[in-house]
Amino acid sequence: MRKIGLLAVCASAAIGVALAGEAVRAETIRVAVNADIRSTYPGVNRDSNTDAVMHHIVEGLVAFTSDGSVAPSLAEKVETPDGGKTWVFTLRDGVTFHNGEPVTAEDVLFIWDKYLDEATKWRCYKDFAEGNAAVESIEKEDDRTVVFTLKQPSALFLGLMARIDCAAGAIVHEDSFAADGSWSAPIGTGPYKIGEWRQGEFIELEKFAGYKPRPEPRDGYAGARIAEADKVRFVVIPDGAATKAALLSGSIDVYPDISVNDVEEFKASQGVKVGIADTMNLSGILMQTTDPLLGKVKLREAIAHAIDTAGLVQVLTLGTAKPNNSPIPVVSAYHGKLQSALFSYDPERARKLAAEAGYKGETIKMLTTKRYQTAFDVAVIAQAMAKQAGINIELEVLEWATLLDKYLAGDYQMMSFLYSARLDPSLSFDMFSGPKAEQPRKVWDNPEAQALIEQSMRIADKGERETIFNRLEEMFRADVPMLVLYNGPDIAAYSDKLVGYEAWMAGTPRLWGVSTGK
Amino acid sequence: MLRYLLGRLLTAVPTLLLVSFGVFVLIRLVPGDPIVVMLGDTADPETVRALREAYGLDRPLLAQYGLWLLRAAGGDLGQSITNGAEVLPLILSRFEVSAIIVVIAVALAALIAVPLGMIAAWRQNSATDVVVIAVATLLLSVPSFWLGLLLLLAFGLKLGWVPVIGYVPFAEDWALALAYIALPVATLVLVEIGVLTRMARASTVEVLRLEYIAHARAKGASELSVLARHALPNAFAPTWTLIGLVLGNLLGGIAVVETVFTLPGLGRLLVDAIFARDYPLIQGCLLFTAVVYVLVNLVVDLCYPLFDPRVATE
Repeated sequence: MRKIGLLAVCASAAIGVALAGEAVRAETIRVAVNADIRSTYPGVNRDSNTDAVMHHIVEGLVAFTSDGSVAPSLAEKVETPDGGKTWVFTLRDGVTFHNGEPVTAEDVLFIWDKYLDEATKWRCYKDFAEGNAAVESIEKEDDRTVVFTLKQPSALFLGLMARIDCAAGAIVHEDSFAADGSWSAPIGTGPYKIGEWRQGEFIELEKFAGYKPRPEPRDGYAGARIAEADKVRFVVIPDGAATKAALLSGSIDVYPDISVNDVEEFKASQGVKVGIADTMNLSGILMQTTDPLLGKVKLREAIAHAIDTAGLVQVLTLGTAKPNNSPIPVVSAYHGKLQSALFSYDPERARKLAAEAGYKGETIKMLTTKRYQTAFDVAVIAQAMAKQAGINIELEVLEWATLLDKYLAGDYQMMSFLYSARLDPSLSFDMFSGPKAEQPRKVWDNPEAQALIEQSMRIADKGERETIFNRLEEMFRADVPMLVLYNGPDIAAYSDKLVGYEAWMAGTPRLWGVSTGK
Repeated sequence: MLRYLLGRLLTAVPTLLLVSFGVFVLIRLVPGDPIVVMLGDTADPETVRALREAYGLDRPLLAQYGLWLLRAAGGDLGQSITNGAEVLPLILSRFEVSAIIVVIAVALAALIAVPLGMIAAWRQNSATDVVVIAVATLLLSVPSFWLGLLLLLAFGLKLGWVPVIGYVPFAEDWALALAYIALPVATLVLVEIGVLTRMARASTVEVLRLEYIAHARAKGASELSVLARHALPNAFAPTWTLIGLVLGNLLGGIAVVETVFTLPGLGRLLVDAIFARDYPLIQGCLLFTAVVYVLVNLVVDLCYPLFDPRVATE
């Protein structure tokens, strides 16, 4: 009995020591990520978690603000003297890398030379090497001035440069690479520098004492990005229930991407706050226009009228997102009255249109996945709604990798799918427009629309672009190659002790300007 | 003995070759592509083609297999497509986490289950027996993820006795390490107690019916002596086999428990690799698991003579 008592005391002591250890770590902000990062090479070997972490460490010349516009970041100012062909970047004075070296025009030339080498496999290589922002030359004018000359004028140049998945063309020091030219570790200019990375467990970032913030307030990925906490630790927790328990027990401080079904529970929990923001991600139902059945536009139109977008989005997001049938996200400056209109929910009209299309109740297969619960829920609700209009949809649930394979091959009749954010309407349309013969993944094969999209990429004038996007909107709704439903909200739950944490349009956690309140 | 050992190891070679080929072919038959998963919804055919070429995925399957096998024979399991890490060191570091938890859990489960099963058999058909069988059956039926979550919510969240998520190596801080592995170990112990108790009980019931046990009792041996000295060695052999199988299974990865408790173990590494279609990592993990399984069962077989001298004679 005594031995058992002794064991209990030892165990309690061990646990006590363990929990004391936890207390020592309290200066750190701990953020959950559902999977480990892929690498520390920004914009090259990456996924969304990698992007989220790396944007704390590195900065590009420009960055996205919280309304999707582009603002200077490492650059003090950006000018285009000839309407989009030449871009002059003046670097901010006094900015240093994490190793103390000053940021110069040479550094910009060095890293962009890498990015424009196909062997680097930079995410945005194609856009800047041969796409609509193809770079002809990059030259140093003086130590603080770099001039990018494009092959043709581009309205998208800055937007593409600021792309989050391309790490905003991060400017890193040449010592980030080993002597043989391979990637070593990021030496950036961001508010945090890289600390310890235990694969499968966590990656820890440390405050960069020499960070020089911009004078403007924090705004998206732009503005002042001041590290308030000493450390930020991104903890890998793959299981949602475990992440929830971790937040409620105080083991983590931020759960950046909670399910809409957990919102009320978190709101009712002590010590936890919930933040919601509209994003530019897009959820919708793809319809294969080369399919013998769905090739008939009237059947696609029938499906659009059979699905109550407003009702579906309300049920699915519990009012946290707005219904949207337009490819242009609700938060975009180009989302106007035309884009706000929804397909009328009219089962009778749907039934009539389906009959006119010669539809006789054949089974239409819709592919979906459970990797993203909302994609699955969309499919289930849409199936039930379509049934009311006599349209017979059968669901097939696939694992995410398999679904992506089918998407890429265009091998589906219908598919409940999610697109990541495109921060410019040209890119929103471009992500699903194109010739199917060459790119089977493209959903909308309309040469006239494609020409308009390309035109929109070259024009900088907002009014002219708006006219083009409105025309595209009308054409898109007439062709109905897919039914856009909504732009998924970014819902984050976080400790109420955190000061300054906010959900935002890009849906990624931002830990600069955030403190533990101690 | 050495000849026997070498013989057993040599017979494992065709098994491992078969496993390696089976895994190689099967994972490629599954739809999905590591490059497409990497690129997501922005994957375009040109980029996919270029990256497939860069990772050598465009070569003929047999050439890919041959190359991989050749390297694997030299201990090089290649590099992960996901993060470029060397596969073997990655597997070994993750295996360490799984192995510590599994070995502790199975040892504890055996220490509890074997006496419990023997007591139940000794008191066959009594209230004790019924309770032990009922509890063992209940534990056997409970899914490990559910049990793990319950323990996590009760002891981690409500009572706050142990950390909810994470892992700390013993070498870094043994006390913290104990706190972190307490719940995963408890989950595995509870799950494995069920099956081991039932096996220990069943084999003890059989042994207690044998004449030499009646003889021991007739000679006036105490019940403790009958159970410990006479019944245990014979009754333990089948349980020992089961322990070997359980150990082999669990060392291959406790993915569910690792996921619930956020442990960086081998099971989670494999599951993540499968989702990402990280071929080299999947192949490496499964081949490694097969090797561990073979070795654990070999060790179990070699231990048999300790319980049953007849095996050594044979």
